[in-house]
Parts: sequence; structure tokens; C-alpha cells
Amino acid sequence: MATPINKKTLEHLAKLARVLIPEGDEEKLVNDLEKILAHFEELKSLPAGEATLAYGGEAKNEFREDGKSINTNHGRGVEALPETKDEYLKIPPVFE
Amino acid sequence: MFHLLRNLTIKNFHDGLVKKEFTALEMARAFFAHIKERDPHIGAYLRTLEERALKDAEAVDIKIAKGEEIHLLAGVPLAIKDNILIEGSPATAGSKILENYVSAYDATVISKLKETGAVFLGKTNLDEFAMGSSTENSAFHVTKNPHDPKRVPGGSSGGSASAVAAHLAVAGLGSDTGGSIRQPAAFCGVVGLKPTYGAVSRSGLIAMASSLDQIGPITKTVEDAAILFNAIKGKDPLDATSVNYNWADLTKPDYEKIKNLRVGVPEEYFIEGVEPEVISAVNDAIEKIKSLGVKFKKISLPHTKYALSCYYIIMPAEVSSNLARFDGIRYGRNTKRETQSVKLSDIYFKTRGAGFGTETKRRIILGTFVLSSGYYDAYYKKAQEVRAKISRDFDEAWKEVDVIIAPTTPTRPFLIGEKTADPLSMYLSDVFTIPANLAGLPAISIPAAKDVRLPVGFQLIGPRFGESEILGLGQYYERIA
Repeated sequence: MATPINKKTLEHLAKLARVLIPEGDEEKLVNDLEKILAHFEELKSLPAGEATLAYGGEAKNEFREDGKSINTNHGRGVEALPETKDEYLKIPPVFE
Repeated sequence: MFHLLRNLTIKNFHDGLVKKEFTALEMARAFFAHIKERDPHIGAYLRTLEERALKDAEAVDIKIAKGEEIHLLAGVPLAIKDNILIEGSPATAGSKILENYVSAYDATVISKLKETGAVFLGKTNLDEFAMGSSTENSAFHVTKNPHDPKRVPGGSSGGSASAVAAHLAVAGLGSDTGGSIRQPAAFCGVVGLKPTYGAVSRSGLIAMASSLDQIGPITKTVEDAAILFNAIKGKDPLDATSVNYNWADLTKPDYEKIKNLRVGVPEEYFIEGVEPEVISAVNDAIEKIKSLGVKFKKISLPHTKYALSCYYIIMPAEVSSNLARFDGIRYGRNTKRETQSVKLSDIYFKTRGAGFGTETKRRIILGTFVLSSGYYDAYYKKAQEVRAKISRDFDEAWKEVDVIIAPTTPTRPFLIGEKTADPLSMYLSDVFTIPANLAGLPAISIPAAKDVRLPVGFQLIGPRFGESEILGLGQYYERIA
């Protein structure tokens, strides 16, 4: 399979990931990704198999007891916000 | 005083403290004085926490003066990687995007260590979000190898490893996703333990790749690694993957049992391309352990060579989702909002564009790609299958041996700048540490030869929850080396 990364796909991926890639960095990034993806080609030679992880043996689903509690660190969390109003996060309008 | 700092392990710090040879406050002050003098040449720390540390040290002295019993870690000056939260202190994870973030709570490992009375000297440098093998990817500065300032200390826990190696702390904490504790430990000539996945709570560790991340100790001796691991291990309601396990003889190994361990030597780790100096140092360690009667056996882990590709698909996939939370809103902002009318999505794009470094962006894009429609099966699903194959290789090996010995890294510490232009060559330096993360196994890196100019490490890999075996064999080696 030809490496599917080019400038256009990079722009699309950056949009999906919500990252602004500076214009001058695009070419190097495409080249790096091409090289990395070419390395991954070796995996294609391996036969398909189970994807179940063998190390999950001890892991069990855990459920909390039902109960009324507030366990967010509201106070400190709010302190980290850049702008607040009445202890709530203030953001620009989502819809215009 | 430097002579004293040089020889301090957790064990003899404790002995000196209870024998009243020094006080915890005196030692904390001595460490800060040494950091001020030496760290400008190394760059292990991003910031020190002097005021708080001196208070905590004094509290330990008061306890001793009152005749109260103290924990083995009481007063012990530690270096903490800056992706582990200490309430009220900044935690940047080496990234500009978190430059103004102050931790809202303590990581579970920090709460546990606070109960022991341990003293936190400061937060150490790392590759941004723990992504890198050299600590060159930190947004703040490059850390240097204390053995040769032209060379890297390894990464991503290069700050903690170099702090311990340069006696800027007695011990430290790092995190290991693909080798980030063991590789810098090997490069800096110290001990680094990556515990079994689930052995230590990850609550309060800034997440990189959640199915791989583990916090672990970086220390001067294997015995110290056992002491520190013992203090931070265990089930935590805040991390559903953490497990209670009853480890036997962690800090006091039963050497009769250890002598009877069967050790596997995997042929895939002693291949062309590995530096001859690394192979010969590891073989020396094998010979030393052999002289004690421990039996060695050649084994094969046939999928080892696919581990790197597998890891560099799964890890960025998890990175791209974990780092989605850094949106320029919730964890402090590093760019000013220009006007009231700016769009919310613009804040996301601009903050993430300016706040993340090149390697972080590369991994977010790669992760987004391998998870995207049309490519998911060819990359992400395939990598999950290969991960299971790698895990099964180890399961097969445990039928024949109890512990596996291998080099920690294919080379000795490389030069600063040597691999920064070519990410793939940088990734290859993790080739021997990644399999243990993919399979969730415990692994420890131990200095193979102490008298060399550039350190070499060997690693002991154990089955899940085999910390007692690898720490025991490591302590056995330490006694004779």
C-alpha cells in the first residue's frame, strides 16, 4: 500500500485533531510520517490473530456503590480556568 | 558534605537519621545547596520546592526528637518527574501548554509518599508529555548526562535519572510508557523499575498512553527501588486498573529461592546492531550471576522485532485521545485571548498549535491517522493483534524460565542533537524496553558495569507481578557486583 499521507491528508488530520500546523512545518512532518508508516509495513507480513490482551487476567469490572456524593475537585479545578463567572467556566459563544 | 551526599542511599539515609548523625533539615539544606551549584550544568530540575521541603524535613526531625518511630522513607529527599501531580505546585509535563497549570490534587503515589514523611525536593525535566528518549523534547531546556554533558541522559524521565546520578536527590520517581524509566536509568548508571501494569496507581499521572503508563522508582540501588516500590504499590479506588497483590519478600529477598531461579536469555536481544560494549557488559553481568549457581537458558521471543511498530501505532492512538483534553481552556491558558469575539474553535486550534511541541504534534497526527476510518484495520487493529502475539511470546517463555535478562538499550548514551532530526532513529532507542510495556510486565534496569565512562544497563524482566523475583535477583547481583 502506498503511503497515504500527503499535504492534503495532513491538513485534514490536523483539522480532526484540532491542531494548527505552522506552514513551514508541513513538509517535514509529511516526510517524517511517511518514513514512520513505511516502517510499519513490516506488520503486514504477520498473519492475523486475536487482538485480546493476554495480560487482562486480574482486571475485573468494578462498580461504585450507589450513593450521593460530589467527588469533583471543583474548587481547585475552577482556579485553573482562564475566565470564570460565578464559579463556572466562561467561554466565547459556541454558536454564532 | 558532597562526599556524604554521594554515598546516600535510602537505606543509609534512614540509618544516619535514626542514629542522629544528621538531621533531615540539614540534609534537605545540603541537597538544595548542591542543586544550586551543580544543577545549572545538568538541568535535571524544572523547579525546586524548597520552602515546602524544608518544612516537611523539619516535621520529620520533630518526630525523631519526640522519640516516635519513623518510616524508612521519612525525610528522604526525592526528585519527582513533572508529569506527577503535587497539590498546589505547577505540573507542566514538560509542555508549554501546561506552563501555567497548578496541580489541583495529589497523585496517589504522592499521597502515599507524604504519609511516609518523604521530602520532595522538586519537579524534574522530561520530554514533553513523556514523549521522547532523550529529554531533548522538553519545552523548557535540555537535560545533560551527568557522566558526559555532551550526551543525553535518556528519556523521558531524564530529569529524575540525572538527578539521582548526580546526587541531586537520594532517589526519584519517573513514569514508563515504552522505557521512560529504564532507558534513562541505563544511560545515567542508576537503577530504574517499571512495575507490572496495575501494580502502582496512575491517578495523578498526566496520561500519555493509558494502557502502557506506569509510575516507578529511579534509585541508586536495587534495594532502594524495592523500598520505594513497596511504598507506592497497591490498589487505589481512583485507578480501576490497579490491583492488590501480595508480593513476598520485596525488601528482604529470600536468597535461597533466588538462587534457584531459571533465567532466560532471549536471542532477539543480542543481535547485530547492538553496540559490542553493551553486549559484553551484559554478558559480564550474566557471568557474575552464573557464579552464584543461577541457571541460564537460551530462549526465543520471536515477535520482538515487531514491538517497535506495534508500540508506535498503539501509543500515538492513545496519545491523540488523551491529549484532546488540553484545549486551552481547562488547564490554564498559554496564549492570550485577543478579543471577546474570537471563536471557541479558534482557541482550540491556536492554543494546541502553539502549546504543543513538534514531537507531540507528530504523535497526535499519527494517532489520529491510525484511528481514522479506512486505516483503522490496517494499523490500529493490526497492532492490537501483534500486541497479543508479543504477550503470548512471554507466556510461552514463562513455561521455561522465571526471569529474562537482556540489554536495556541497544547503545550507550548518544550525543545531544544526534537523533533529533530523524524521529525514527530516536524511536529505535526504545526497541528493547517496549515489549515489557506492551505485555504489561515488570522490568528493572540495573547498571551492568560501574567503572566505565559511559554507563550500560541490563534489564531483568519478570512475569506479571514478578517484582519479588526481579528485585530479588537484582539485589543478589548487587551484593556481588
